[in-house]
Amino acid sequence: MRNLLHSMNPSVKFVLVTVSMLTIAFFFNPWTPLLFWLGIILLQLTMSRINWKLWLLFMLLFSIGAFGYLWTTVVFGADTGGTVILSFAGIDVTDEQWARALSLAFRVMAFSTLSLLFAFTTDPVKFIMSLMQQLKLSPKLAYGVMVGYQFLPVMKDEFIQIQQAQRLRGAETEKRSWQRLLAMRRVLIPMLAGAVRKAERSAFAMEARGFTGEPRSAYYRPVRIGRTDWLMSGVFLAILLASCIGGSWMS
Amino acid sequence: MPEEIFSLSGLSFRFPEDEAKTLNAISFSVHRGERLVISGPSGCGKSTLLYLLNRLYPENCDGLVDGEIKLFGKSANGYAPGEINHRVATVFQDPDSQFCMPTVEEELAFTLENLHTPFAEMEPRITAVLEKTGLAHLRNTVIQSLSGGMKQRVATACALIMDPEVLLLDEPLSHLDPYTARQFVHWLEELQQQSNLTIIAVEHRLDSWESFFGRELELGCDGRIVADQKFMPRHPVSFPNRQCVAQPAMALRAEGLSVTIKDKQLLAPLAFTVNRGEVVVIAGPNGSGKSTLVKSLCGIYKRNTGTIESDGIGYVPQSPEYLFLTQSVHQEVAFSGASSQPELDGLMASLRLEEIRDAHPFAISHGQKRRVAIAAMLADKRPVLVMDEPTSGQDTAALLELFALIDQRAKGGTTLLIVTHDMEFAASLADSVLLIKGGQLTGKFKAKNVWSNEKLLASHHLLAPKGVAHLAESFA
Repeated sequence: MRNLLHSMNPSVKFVLVTVSMLTIAFFFNPWTPLLFWLGIILLQLTMSRINWKLWLLFMLLFSIGAFGYLWTTVVFGADTGGTVILSFAGIDVTDEQWARALSLAFRVMAFSTLSLLFAFTTDPVKFIMSLMQQLKLSPKLAYGVMVGYQFLPVMKDEFIQIQQAQRLRGAETEKRSWQRLLAMRRVLIPMLAGAVRKAERSAFAMEARGFTGEPRSAYYRPVRIGRTDWLMSGVFLAILLASCIGGSWMS
Repeated sequence: MPEEIFSLSGLSFRFPEDEAKTLNAISFSVHRGERLVISGPSGCGKSTLLYLLNRLYPENCDGLVDGEIKLFGKSANGYAPGEINHRVATVFQDPDSQFCMPTVEEELAFTLENLHTPFAEMEPRITAVLEKTGLAHLRNTVIQSLSGGMKQRVATACALIMDPEVLLLDEPLSHLDPYTARQFVHWLEELQQQSNLTIIAVEHRLDSWESFFGRELELGCDGRIVADQKFMPRHPVSFPNRQCVAQPAMALRAEGLSVTIKDKQLLAPLAFTVNRGEVVVIAGPNGSGKSTLVKSLCGIYKRNTGTIESDGIGYVPQSPEYLFLTQSVHQEVAFSGASSQPELDGLMASLRLEEIRDAHPFAISHGQKRRVAIAAMLADKRPVLVMDEPTSGQDTAALLELFALIDQRAKGGTTLLIVTHDMEFAASLADSVLLIKGGQLTGKFKAKNVWSNEKLLASHHLLAPKGVAHLAESFA
């Protein structure tokens, strides 16, 4: 049970997430995104094993964003009519405005939770492999991404080494963040120069092993669509349908 | 005479952006089961020749080819892209950029998928090649966690899983230390004897191969064949003799120095002193704490305990361009502003940087980059220099240049600490040796006492330098 979300086919999960987002985007009442959001959290609580601490940290950021939406819609939103339910500091908040603001805020929460659900329960390598096998992503692109993914730790090491070496030279660490961002350029140039060379070498190595970018006829680790995926698709769609109908009915 | 597999006649090759031809009037043929090495100085077109044999060139560089290349009796142009790679496999030099999958097993499977191997055959072929190469225990290991030597073995296994007739090696040892390199060569020797594989290698470090090859094809600087002869085992680069120029004054004293990062002690408390003008080699197995020591000495890592007394310690990384911050060589040297103009001029002259004064520091040769880095460190008043792996991937000419440079700086009163695996280089240069193992300093030894002590060297994964006898005589 706790593995269900992790063992799903990544492409199926990806399609479900996309479909859900597109559907929710057509509902402007506050209840649909709220119900959907709660549904997703429930799903995650019961069917995944994730690092909740990290999840909370991310959600904190998104919550700030959601509050921003709420605030700006309430304060700066166009006058839509309806009855005034709250008045403060010269601002009148109508019930319609309030409903729309809540809807936007909940939508942000629902979408971010859904994205995190996908990110936290999907192995990137398996995702790429599945995109190639189920959604016919071109192998050239897929393996290109894979190579990039393998390079990430190497690039990180290199970045640290260059930074250390330059600091030793007395490259001043800038106080202001935008200056620090500009100073990054000095670290990035040697790094990119190295990355271009590495990329060419990788391309040669792949080609020398017979990689031409043609579609493959057999996979060593086929990523399949199984019973779990049908079951989970059902669960997702049920949550989606329930929140759509429930939300419309409640508002 | 075995069957002829490759035959080249009157081949010449030019990159579209170059005026001169990279390869010129190349004619030779290769027979099944041969072990051929293509040698020559850096930039003579060795790798280009190899890439013409596995069809990476000319398509990938729009190069212009004249003459004829016949692979397995068929003109090279007659092969579809990727077709020849099933029969001719290649291992490249950089262990870090040959893989695209996370684990060994998946990487092997990637190769099989490229060949359109049916699913049922994949599993047995992966098992077979892992058995054959003795890598079965690494099957599910993450490739990026392996050492350079092991990565090269995995790359070779990925080549062999295709059941190739020819194995091309592009300087496969250049990123390995001599100890690992020797193990790799012995391993390859066994593999070659099991299967009658044809091996063609490009290499400038011929001494590491002992008597592996049967034939040598030497290219000259102009891209012509200079010699096509029976391979003779080589002696390592012989460096000139050098006198110790250490002065009595102390340049560096480390006392109770230790480094702990994230609750892990990388360096146990250690103490040593180095005199002015002394050349010290720091050696030990991979991951033994050499880099940690070096980085804590020059202040990149914070030390947890201990003191370092010195006049200023500079650092020259393996890739000197990591240090560069400006747009021209002279600005680079003057960057710190710690030296006066006459001092700067003196440094520029003594390190032969005047002629490249206005060049961009990224657009000069590797040797020049290193000289710029040294000049910049000395101009920053750091008379103790730490060089991290300056010998890795260098050919004979570059090593001799490096030797001369270090000797010259030592005579000028610079103190040098050099991290290297190259024991011939170390033996010719070092006044003393710091041996490190598992984060512990074994001790600081007089150089001449170390080279003949094979047990001590072997326990630090080092090979006794070839020609120790000769050195012992010169010390006597």
